[in-house]
Amino acid sequence: MKLLPSRPLRLPRLRTYVPHKDDPKIFWFNSERADIVDEVVRRIMERYDDDESTELMLNDAAYHEIRRYEASKSEGRKLDYWRGLLRRVGRMSTEGKQETLRELAFDMATDVAGNFDPRVYRFSTRVVPGLLTAAMNPSKVLRNVIEGRRRLDDLVASEGPLDKIRHIARRGTVVLVPTHSSNLDSIAIGWAIDREGLSPMVYGAGKNLFTNPIISFFMHNLGAYRVDRRIRAAIYKEILKTYSCVVIERGYHSLFFPGGTRSRSGALEQHLKLGLAGTAIEAFARNCARGIDRPVYFVPATINYALVLEAETLIEDYLKEEGRARYIIEDDEFSQIERWVSFFNKFRGLEAVCVIRFGEPVDPFGNPVDDQGRSLAPDGRIIDTSSYVSRRGTRSVDARRDAAYTRALGRVLADAYRRETVVMATQLVAHVVFRRIVRTTPGQDLFARMRLRGAIAIPLEELEADIGATRDRLVALELEQRIHVSNFVRRQPPHNILQGVLTTWGGYHSRPIVRIQGGSLIAEDPNLLLFYQNRLRGFAPEIAGEHEADQVAAREIAAMEGRP
Amino acid sequence: MSLPVGVLGGGSFGQALARSSARAGQKVVLWSRRELSLPESSITCTTDLGRLAEAELLLFAVPSPYMSDLADAVGRHLDGSHLLVHVSRGLVGDELTTVSEVLGARTPCRRVGALGGPLVARGLDAGEPGGAIIGSAFPEVIESVSEALGGARLRVYGTDDIMGVEIASALVGMVTLALGYAQCLGLGPGTLAVLGTRGLAEATRVGEVRGARARTFAGLAGAGDLLAAVTGDGRPELEFGTALGEGLDVEAAAKRAGAYIEGTDLAGYVSAFGLRYGVQVPIADGLARLIKGEISVAQLTEALMTRPAKRE
Repeated sequence: MKLLPSRPLRLPRLRTYVPHKDDPKIFWFNSERADIVDEVVRRIMERYDDDESTELMLNDAAYHEIRRYEASKSEGRKLDYWRGLLRRVGRMSTEGKQETLRELAFDMATDVAGNFDPRVYRFSTRVVPGLLTAAMNPSKVLRNVIEGRRRLDDLVASEGPLDKIRHIARRGTVVLVPTHSSNLDSIAIGWAIDREGLSPMVYGAGKNLFTNPIISFFMHNLGAYRVDRRIRAAIYKEILKTYSCVVIERGYHSLFFPGGTRSRSGALEQHLKLGLAGTAIEAFARNCARGIDRPVYFVPATINYALVLEAETLIEDYLKEEGRARYIIEDDEFSQIERWVSFFNKFRGLEAVCVIRFGEPVDPFGNPVDDQGRSLAPDGRIIDTSSYVSRRGTRSVDARRDAAYTRALGRVLADAYRRETVVMATQLVAHVVFRRIVRTTPGQDLFARMRLRGAIAIPLEELEADIGATRDRLVALELEQRIHVSNFVRRQPPHNILQGVLTTWGGYHSRPIVRIQGGSLIAEDPNLLLFYQNRLRGFAPEIAGEHEADQVAAREIAAMEGRP
Repeated sequence: MSLPVGVLGGGSFGQALARSSARAGQKVVLWSRRELSLPESSITCTTDLGRLAEAELLLFAVPSPYMSDLADAVGRHLDGSHLLVHVSRGLVGDELTTVSEVLGARTPCRRVGALGGPLVARGLDAGEPGGAIIGSAFPEVIESVSEALGGARLRVYGTDDIMGVEIASALVGMVTLALGYAQCLGLGPGTLAVLGTRGLAEATRVGEVRGARARTFAGLAGAGDLLAAVTGDGRPELEFGTALGEGLDVEAAAKRAGAYIEGTDLAGYVSAFGLRYGVQVPIADGLARLIKGEISVAQLTEALMTRPAKRE
C-alpha cells in the first residue's frame, strides 16, 4: 500500500555519516529515524488495542480519504483501495483490522518523518544565502555569491537573550514557538537559528511547501517533517502528535508555529493552536515518569516584517472569510519570483526587513528559568519541575492534566508575543493613518471604509506630528517592557520615518497603499493599512493620546481585537 | 499515606471547611493569623504558613483583597505539587481577574480551582444536606476536593469551567446586593424576580466574554447560589443591600452586614469591563452609580425600565 507518491529526494549515502562529538543532536537523527517511526506505530497500536476502536479508526480514515480523493478527481487507484477497505473492514478479523491499521500507521508515520543530511545542511548554510541574494540581483552574481551571507545578515536582525538560549539548549530540549505571518518565516528563522549558533531544529512544514522540488529538497533534508493538511483522518493527526512527542522526548530541539497558519489579518496571534505544544508537555511528563531528568524549554519569538511578502493575499482572505481561513493558499506572492526580487530590493540600507525577537525561555508550566535553565518560582526560588507532574509523590502522565497545563501555557505565550513584538515603521505609520480613517468614519464597517479609497487626505504636517506623538507613547511602553520598537522607529525623526515607509511601500504592492498629493497624504488602500496596523491594535487606546475623537477611534480599533 | 488538607483562614467559613473535612475523615492543618484552638483532634491549628507545605490540597477561605499578599507569603513554601482551591466570591480589578488567576500568577502552583454554589458556613457546620460545585481544569483538583469535603451530607459536583464558577459566584453576590436593596424599597416578588433573572443573564454575558460557558450560570454556581441567597441563607450581601437601601453609607452598611462584602467595588469593575468589551451591563452600571451617589433609586428604576425590551 503506497499512500503518497511524492517521496522527497534524498542524496545517496555512500558511507555512513559518523557524527562528531560536538555535533548537535539532530546530526544523529537519521540513525534514529527507523526507531522513531517504530515507536510512533507502537504507541498508536497501544491506544487502539481492541476490535471496536480499531474498526472506528479504519472507517474514519477510509471515509475521509474517499472524500478527499473524490474531490480531487485524481489518484483513482487509491480511491479504489479505500473503497475496498471500507467494504472489507466489517468482515475482517480483529487481527486483520489491527494489521491494516498498523500498515496504515507505518505508512503515514514514514511519510511524516523527516530526514537530516549534514551535507545538505552545510551546503545550504554556506551557499544558499549567496544564491538567494544573487537571484535577486543577477548583474553582480559573483560578488553576491561571495557576500551573500553578509547581505542576508543585514536583512534579518535578531535580538533577545540569545546567550541564555544557547546555554539552556545544552541542558534540555528547546521548543521554539514563533509567530507566523509569512512563508518566509521558516527561511528567516532557520537562518537566524544558524547564525546565532543554535542547533538546527526539527519542524513541521505544510505539504504545500513541498510542491516546489528545490524547496522540498532542502526542507526535507534539514529536519522538516511533512504535515499534509488535506488529510483529515483522525489517525493522521494522532500520528503527527505522537511523532512530535517522540522526537521531543528524545531531546531533539523543535520548532513550530502555534498560530497554526499565517496570520491572515496581520494581527498578533492570541488564539493559539496548542496541539503540538501539548506534545512537548507530554514528552516532559513521560520522561519525568521514567525518571529521565531532561527539561523542556519553550522559547517564544516574534518575527516582525516591515513588508509582508504576501500581505495582499492574506488580508483579502481575511476579509473574504473573516476568520474561517482557507488553509492552503497556493497562488500567493510566495510563488512569484519577481515579487521576491522586488521584496528584497526594497531594503537598501534602510533597516532590517525582518527583526526576529527571541523572548525569555519558560518551562512547560510557564515559569521563567535562570541562566542555568532552572525553573524559578515567583519569589525567585529554584523549583523542581517534576512536582508539576506528581501527585501524592508519584510522577505520572495524565492527558487531561497536561491539556490543562497546555491551555495555561498558551496564555503565557500569547502574553509573551505582545510583550516581544517589535514595532516596525510601516506598522506605526499604517496605524496612525488608519486611526485617522476610523476617526473620520466612526462606526462604519470595513467594507464601507473600503469604498473610501482615495477619499481621506491628511496634511503632512499633522500626520508627522501624530506619528511623532504616537512613537513617543510606544517608546514609553517600551520602557515599561510591554512592547519593543525597531531602532529605526526609535531614533529617526517623524519626517524620516514617514519618508522611509513611503519608499518601502512604493511600488511593492500591486496597488499603492498611500500617495502624496499637494502636501497631504491620501489613504489609497484601507485594507493594507488595516493589515499593517493590526499588529498594534491591542495597544490602540494606550497610544492614541488624550484627544476624545482619537480615543473613540482607538477603542473601536481595539474592539476588532476580539475578546480576552 | 494520606496527606493532610490545608485550610487558610480562621473565619467562620475556614473553620466550617476544616470541620467538614475532619468529619470526612481527613487530617486538617488550619492556618489563621490569630491563634485558634478547636476541639477536634484531627484539626491542627497553626499560625505558621510553612506548616501548610505538608498538605497537598489547600483551601483558601479569606476575602479576595487579602488574597494577593497571602498568595505571595504562602507561595514561598509551595511547589508544583500543591493543589489550591478558594471559596472567595470576589474578582480583582476592572479586568475582572479571578482569584484563581491571582493564585496561579503569584505562587508556583498551577493546579488551581474554585469552590462555589450554595455553600455557607452555617449550613456546612450544621451538616445540612447540600451541594457545591468545584471548578478546575485539572481533574485531580476536582477529585481531591470531592474526597476532602464530599460525603453523605455534601454532594460535590465538578466542572472544568473554572471561569464560569468564579464569575458566577462573584456576580451572584452583586445581584444579591441589588436584590437586598430592592427588597428594602418594598418592591414586590415580580420585580425581584425580574431583577434576579436579568441579573443572572447579565452575569452570563460577562462570563462568556471571559471565556466561561453559559451552562455554568444555570447550574449550582449561578442559579443555585442565587436561589439560596434569596430564600434566606443569611447571605451578608442581602443585608448589605438592605442597609444601603435604608440610606446608610457604604461603610456603615458594611459594618451592619458584619462581613467583608466583596461586591462593593465589583459593580464599578463590571461596569468598566462592559464599556471596554462592548457588553451590556445595565444592572452593574446602575448599581455602581447608585453606590457612588450619582443617581437616585427613582432614576435607576426608570433607566432600567425604559431600556428597550428585546428577545430574552
